[in-house]
Amino acid sequence: MPLDIFVQILLNGILLGGIYALVAFGLSLVYGVAHILNIAHGTLLAISGVIASLIYLVTSWHPVLIIPLIVFPVFAFGYLFHAALLRPLASRGKHDETIGTVLITTGALIAMSDITGFAAGTQQRNIPVRSEMLEFGDIILPMAQIWILAGIVGLTIALHFYLKYAWFGRAVRAVTQDPFGATICGVNGPRARALTFAAGSGLVAVAGVLYALIYPVDPYMGFSLTVRAFTIIVVGGIGNLAGAMIAGLMLGVAEAFTAFLWSPKWAPAISVILLLIILVVFPRGLASWQKT
Amino acid sequence: MTSTSTTTLSTPRLVIYACGAAFVVLLASIPAFAGSYLTSFVLALMISFVLAQSWDWVNGQMGYLNLGHFAFYGIGAYAFAILLTRGVQIVPCFAAAIFFASLAALLVSLPLFRLKGDYFAFATLAIVPLCELLANNFEGLTKGSEGITLPPDYVLVPAYILAALLVALTLATTLWLMRSRFGYALRAIRNDEQVAEVAGVRLFPYKAATLMLSAAFAGLAGSIQAWQFSYIAPNTMFNLGVALVPIAGALLGGSGLLLGPLFGMVLFSSLEQALLVKMSHLREAVLGVVIILIGRFLPGGLLRAKWISRHDLLSWLSRESHFEIGGHRHATAGERLPLVHREVDTDRIVLECQGATMAFGGNVAVNNVSLKIRQGEIVGLVGPNGSGKTTLFNLISGIYRPRSGRILIEGRDIADFRADEITRLGIGRSYQIPRPFAELTVRENIAIGRTFGASKTKLLESMRTADIFANFVGLGGLLEQKAELLSLQQKKALELARALAAEPKLLLVDEVASGLSTVEIAAFVKHIRDIRDQYGITIIWVEHIFSALSQVVDRLIVLDSGAVIADAPLAEAMRDERVLTTYLGHAAGEAK
Amino acid sequence: MSLLKVSDLEVSHGPLQALWGVSLSVEAGEKVGLLGANGAGKSTTLGAIIGHYPAKSGRIELDGSDASRLDVSQRVTRGLGLVPEGRRLFVEMSVRENLEMGAYLSAPRKKLAQSLEHVFNLFPILKEKQRQAAGTLSGGQQQMVAIGRALMSCPRLLLLDEPFIGVAPLIIKDVMTALTQIAAGGITIVLVEQNIHRALEFVDRAYVIENGRTVLDGTRDQLLNDKSFGSKLLGLD
Repeated sequence: MPLDIFVQILLNGILLGGIYALVAFGLSLVYGVAHILNIAHGTLLAISGVIASLIYLVTSWHPVLIIPLIVFPVFAFGYLFHAALLRPLASRGKHDETIGTVLITTGALIAMSDITGFAAGTQQRNIPVRSEMLEFGDIILPMAQIWILAGIVGLTIALHFYLKYAWFGRAVRAVTQDPFGATICGVNGPRARALTFAAGSGLVAVAGVLYALIYPVDPYMGFSLTVRAFTIIVVGGIGNLAGAMIAGLMLGVAEAFTAFLWSPKWAPAISVILLLIILVVFPRGLASWQKT
Repeated sequence: MTSTSTTTLSTPRLVIYACGAAFVVLLASIPAFAGSYLTSFVLALMISFVLAQSWDWVNGQMGYLNLGHFAFYGIGAYAFAILLTRGVQIVPCFAAAIFFASLAALLVSLPLFRLKGDYFAFATLAIVPLCELLANNFEGLTKGSEGITLPPDYVLVPAYILAALLVALTLATTLWLMRSRFGYALRAIRNDEQVAEVAGVRLFPYKAATLMLSAAFAGLAGSIQAWQFSYIAPNTMFNLGVALVPIAGALLGGSGLLLGPLFGMVLFSSLEQALLVKMSHLREAVLGVVIILIGRFLPGGLLRAKWISRHDLLSWLSRESHFEIGGHRHATAGERLPLVHREVDTDRIVLECQGATMAFGGNVAVNNVSLKIRQGEIVGLVGPNGSGKTTLFNLISGIYRPRSGRILIEGRDIADFRADEITRLGIGRSYQIPRPFAELTVRENIAIGRTFGASKTKLLESMRTADIFANFVGLGGLLEQKAELLSLQQKKALELARALAAEPKLLLVDEVASGLSTVEIAAFVKHIRDIRDQYGITIIWVEHIFSALSQVVDRLIVLDSGAVIADAPLAEAMRDERVLTTYLGHAAGEAK
Repeated sequence: MSLLKVSDLEVSHGPLQALWGVSLSVEAGEKVGLLGANGAGKSTTLGAIIGHYPAKSGRIELDGSDASRLDVSQRVTRGLGLVPEGRRLFVEMSVRENLEMGAYLSAPRKKLAQSLEHVFNLFPILKEKQRQAAGTLSGGQQQMVAIGRALMSCPRLLLLDEPFIGVAPLIIKDVMTALTQIAAGGITIVLVEQNIHRALEFVDRAYVIENGRTVLDGTRDQLLNDKSFGSKLLGLD
């Protein structure tokens, strides 16, 4: 394979993987803190992407301006969604709570996709920004991709430092590791859960805008991203940002090369097959995998 | 066992049979008078019901939330369609649908049953998109997104009849599960998987078999639907929105109840049909909202709602199925337990630990413990909280594997034995914090211990003799009571009965006496002595209440910080300076 | 006016009632023991005092005003600190992060450096290991982190739930010494402890809980001279 093509595919894979990792961060934080596996998580990305594309189509604003326009409403939506529908489930038994969250988030997936499809159309859209090209010998890269990559890296680092050093970030980690321990330190558990759910939603909205800059989005594409994000957190560990980033990049690069060397139609299968293989290879399940 | 005793389900049999018969007659006669629109609607409803009910065997009985169930339906449909279009006879095509759906279930159960709870649910959700992808990509076999067109025969009536038969079989299977040994294994797993394994239920075969059974029904349902549709494509057979409809239906009605999935599915399908007629847009959005509302407001399903469970005529719909014995047989006080008497040979060593060590993180919970227990002994195991007593029990019963050292039961190293195998070797135990199967009755708890334990008694016989064990521990009047409603002491008594019913050689008793009155303790001590004297069962008893231990134990083993600090006859151990200072303290010594 | 006053407290866990009437009062500067058999309701009592379990009936007063309706963080603000059963550390966070989490609320946050120094003085080993993940420490060191974390919120009343479980015998002495220092520094202590000998050596007086009720209380000597003490302690009545 010629070097320039190799580098281009690698970069595509890294970009894709970085976005997958952002999607996984949100899912992972929300699961760690609130024990909610949000099946509609990827659908939020899809809808954010569709709305961002529409805004761009109408206004032609710079995507950096569109991001806050999307993120804040999605954050608020996430908070309300949690408060109205998910928080009340906490008083149930464990299995009933799982059933409740699955039904509510799946129902939300179906309803959100259908409403968006009805209002905005079911066709694929994207944000077709013009971009200068950077040339390194044979390798030609669009500037936009570099900026997106920088955005992903910046967001990851910011999130990492927030969780490591900010008081609320630490509280989120504390609730993940021992909810009762966090409570007796004075952390308000329900509020931490609701804010984390909102933050996870906001994060995936950012990912949605970035995604629409590179790939087409439609209201129904979200679930496959949720599946990928789940694979990533199984591989990388719940609440483990570095692990999720590495797993996300691996998955993105693997998909990019599968698409090129074999066929694009097989690329989406990789995450599921990877997931099944990991479960077989690490028979004691996730705990042993994370500890080793 | 008097000849008049009969076994019944708690739901009145007559009502069930009358309703069932009326239902079948009505169902079977529909194609005769209804048009093809209504007939195909009822056919679709029956298919959905089979999916909902077969899904609920895994969820409602076994406690595993399988969100990929719909994939088995699609696999059945594809297997059927592929073979039929290649000229295979119709019957082998249906057989292939069942075969391939179950095979897929077996394949996915290997990785998936490594997971529990949320993780299992989430991972199963990946199955449907994977199948859609495979159906799209294996074009040679499936014609990809173009789909498969079946021979254009008019098969509505035969498909309808086949589906009606499948509905009857599904209901019969549900009834069978509710009263069979197999079904009790599943309900034990749902209530507490680890305790189920220690009670002798070998987990994986039951879990895989249940998933395969549910897949087989779903696969057959898929093939019938494909036969009638005469066209299938990946986006209809593996559509996520459709995939969750049977699940939502089952949960709407009431998961785990005999008629829950049926009621729920009828309601849900009717709603769907009404939407199809009334609305041209946003139908899925409305369904999504309905699913959200079910999740938010109907935790146990409609049939468990208060206005049904408290209604005179309707309450039977929300009643759970539990094993009850009709007739009036009551165990008499002092009746001998149906256990074989073991000849005690005090030279035989039942249990030996050789340097057993177990650590969690930085905590060494059991530190190089070596001990021997002889047949017929009653050994007291004492030590402060956190000294490793319960961890040692967990090592012996196979819940943990020692980091180093060996554990031998009657000379056999148990390193490679699963917990259920260890139980069948003859180890019984109770738990410090009682873990009865909460949603099952006292009778069912004891019978599960008996039928899956070393005694291997048949389920029916175990249910019938459960009252003798219940009487023995003082729960004679509470046989049909759910275990979760018992008091702490009653739960502990139930655990003792469950362990005893398994016919153990060695019984590990973990703190049974705390909270009992002096009289009750004396009675309990007598039980422990009887268990040994009359049935030859060896006992290790962990207890804080020293006055109780001192009445009955031959020998005392004292643990502190995971290590054995004394192992001597009672009187001698009580004089040991280290024992007195590290564990008993002056006050407790005086209390004795 | 008592620092803490609990009257006729009843608490249920789901369908099961765990406390049937617990009454006790603790004056500022006291060391009070809570004794009783396993399952008698000692941990539930502490859990209800800190606000983790809602009271079904009865009253909990802090400094004479009703605290029954306050949530955990409000009670921590009012001066309660809990060292819970099983330590409940954040095992993947460092020792220092664990301690700093103890000062999460706004008032103690302002005195963070000072409190940290105080804890490191009490338990010098924690200063050495401050960068290590809490889960990798020995049982005794983890217990020190748990006590330290509770101290970081500058409590006036420290509730300790069996702080010697899983602690090696040699280390128990160190922890005991630290507790004596903490008490000498003016912090009131309520100690749940199984080893009666050890408990009575430390506390000024104690309550005995049996089957969810306080059935006996008194100073060390009063208790030891009470004929029913042993049987009540072991739940033999």
